[in-house]
Amino acid sequence: MLMADVLDAFQLPFVQRALVEVLLLSVAAGALGTWIVLRGLAFYAHGVAAAAFPGLVLADGLGFSPPLGAFGVALLFALLVGRLSARGRSGHDSLTALVLVGALAVGIVLASDVFHSAANVETLLFGSLLAVGPGEIRLAAVVAVLAALATYLLGRRWLAVGFDAGAARALGVRSPAADAVLLVLIALAAVATLSAVGALLSTALLVVPAATVRLGTRRMTPWQLGTVALTAFEGTAGLWLSFQTNAPPGATIAVIAGGVFVLAATARVSAGPLRRLLGDDAAPVAAAATLRGGR
Amino acid sequence: MSALVEARGLAVGYGAAPVLGDVDFALEAGERVGVLGPNGGGKTTLFRALLGELRPLAGELTVAGRCGTVPQTERSRLDFPVSALDVALMGTIAGRPWWRRPGRAERRTARAALGRVGLEQLAERTFGELSGGQRQRVLVARALVQEARIVLLDEPFTGLDAASAERLEALLDELASEGRGILIATHDVDQARAWDRVLCLNRRQIAFGPPAETLTREVLAATYGGAIVTLPAEDGREALALLPPHHCDHEHSA
Amino acid sequence: MTVLASVLTALGDPWDQGIMQRALLEVVLLGLVGGALGCWIVLSELSYGAESLAHGMFPGLVLAALTGIPLLLGGAAGILVAALAVALAGRVPGIGRDNAVAVVVTTLFGLGVLLALSPSSPPGIQGLLFGDVLGTSAGDLLDGAALAAVVLAALWVLHWRLLAVGFDRLSARALGAPPLLADAALLILLALAVLVAVQGLGNLLVVAVLVAPAAAARLLARRLLPMMATAVAIAIVAGIAGLYLSYYVRVAAGASIAGFMVLAYALARLATLAESLRGAATLTEAN
Repeated sequence: MLMADVLDAFQLPFVQRALVEVLLLSVAAGALGTWIVLRGLAFYAHGVAAAAFPGLVLADGLGFSPPLGAFGVALLFALLVGRLSARGRSGHDSLTALVLVGALAVGIVLASDVFHSAANVETLLFGSLLAVGPGEIRLAAVVAVLAALATYLLGRRWLAVGFDAGAARALGVRSPAADAVLLVLIALAAVATLSAVGALLSTALLVVPAATVRLGTRRMTPWQLGTVALTAFEGTAGLWLSFQTNAPPGATIAVIAGGVFVLAATARVSAGPLRRLLGDDAAPVAAAATLRGGR
Repeated sequence: MSALVEARGLAVGYGAAPVLGDVDFALEAGERVGVLGPNGGGKTTLFRALLGELRPLAGELTVAGRCGTVPQTERSRLDFPVSALDVALMGTIAGRPWWRRPGRAERRTARAALGRVGLEQLAERTFGELSGGQRQRVLVARALVQEARIVLLDEPFTGLDAASAERLEALLDELASEGRGILIATHDVDQARAWDRVLCLNRRQIAFGPPAETLTREVLAATYGGAIVTLPAEDGREALALLPPHHCDHEHSA
Repeated sequence: MTVLASVLTALGDPWDQGIMQRALLEVVLLGLVGGALGCWIVLSELSYGAESLAHGMFPGLVLAALTGIPLLLGGAAGILVAALAVALAGRVPGIGRDNAVAVVVTTLFGLGVLLALSPSSPPGIQGLLFGDVLGTSAGDLLDGAALAAVVLAALWVLHWRLLAVGFDRLSARALGAPPLLADAALLILLALAVLVAVQGLGNLLVVAVLVAPAAAARLLARRLLPMMATAVAIAIVAGIAGLYLSYYVRVAAGASIAGFMVLAYALARLATLAESLRGAATLTEAN
């Protein structure tokens, strides 16, 4: 029986730990993912998680706490890219891409040739059910609390800037400090997701569920609560699938989250004529327009 | 003589709803026409329709001749790695089959056009390093290379010092005397008084005609929105509270 | 003299082997395509798009590896699917393009990993992720050279239209260079370039050759053609340096090539920074 299988899987201690981790992370994702989507920080979130990869390898090889190493590098990235993005958009996407690919290259060289931990590379990049220990759970709990607290205290400022950075400044909503807090919190959340979904797929938790719920609601509170629920559901389903298929949980969660997004988008669009989705432009033109805008 | 540009009951917009309607005017060869109106009043939209980027939603628009455009310089990217000559050479694209690159003849044309606007010495200079007035003249040279019979200028005098503005004004006179039609979007009501006609837009056409008869207090008030413009001598900048429609998109604000 | 002789031997030594010769040719192809097209990617701010396409094509590569069809075909199909998915997702109202691209890329990349790391798949995913420049075959080189020739010829022909669009999108159309056509052309060329580069650098590191040399060259050159030449030179030199490093120190070749390219950007950035500081210093002295 399917249900019994599901329950079976979750009786194993390491799966239970992963489940607790994912549930804690879904609080962080619900609180922060919505801001990432609203402020268009998806590439930043992806970059910050990937940048943490060499930090993880270093920590793994030298034997200090992995989250510490990862957070160190992620913070560096946040400072570098965050400052530039605050100053202006131009060149910011090239820089993000460069830091990202540079971090990957360094991480791979460190992993395969310095510490000879090549077998770990896949775990670090795509997550593992076995990687979740008490330390990771504590980190996820801290991030969840911080994210919820910061949303409660600073949400108003983030919202104002989210809709119009210029107007927010004109209204006297001082954004730099609040923005810096947001960027650092996203870095922290990205690091917290590393053990479960890996350095390359943290957006599966941090961006995709929030983008999915956004299709159904425009108001902040239902959006955030819905994202928490959806992330928890997709994370749990992904863990189960990962247990069944032996594939990394990052990959299963990404595929499930993407599938749910497709369903939601189809439902949303089929309300209007399909013609609007397909549009009148040729596909490469539409793709080019989207990629151009999506920087 | 037939008009270079003729609009009859023209309405244009970005979606189904027009952002500019009821436009009826004609641009004759040899004329300089000032286009007045607040930001978001439809000046840029009209230009985009003339350039063929927007199709009329209603009415008729006849453009008899090639359009050259001198956009605002902020929009052109100052850090782009091109020289003044490269920019002028861009005017030769349309006149060549798509597989051919500019040859010696095209380069000569481009240099000659830069010479006409007084910039032959600076042909190899990076575009972004030129002064504001010089950049405007490079873009005019590009329109000359295009052999444009109609030249559209979008606020060309904004940010220019008096000497550069005078120089550009003289150049525009010269272009008009050769039989080109010149459309100049501007905020400067006083400056427009010297031109042949003015076209006042505020989401629709308010007035069109010779400046002396057209630029009355009533027309200016209707153009710039209410009683804020009291002295025509002031260019009405204070009244420009409307945002252009394409700036109201929340998706791009982050 | 003996020092010089031994240096020369050390420099020449790697290229006696067929593997290294093919790797060298592959690196040159990579540099030509990546450097030249990279300039347009950097100037059009398409880096995120390049990265997204490279990641999004992953399931295509994995499926090709699993079923034994040529990687090139799988990669091409993968890019096509990714581009279509991005185009569709960008039209879903309400979430913004940036997020739409992130959703598509996350899903496709996850799908690729799921296929590649399921127990029934043979090992070897790392070759697809990080490339295998030392495993380049003569056939790979021929395919790569053909694609590279197409990309370079297209860039040559489209040069002025791309220039007009890049310089000023809004008036380009009136000049006879429709911006949407230029966008579509760049996208297709980007897909071809990714296909050339994926053999050497893999799905994850491809973006290095498409962005880093051009971003460095942009800091150093003031015209487009010199910028392209600089970018190509940087890419090839970094590629050769990476091959030397991997030959003598035995580190992963793809990663060291990507690392050198990013390093080149960092050096160029430092150089311009030092220059502007010196400029500022002379200014204050003059005052």
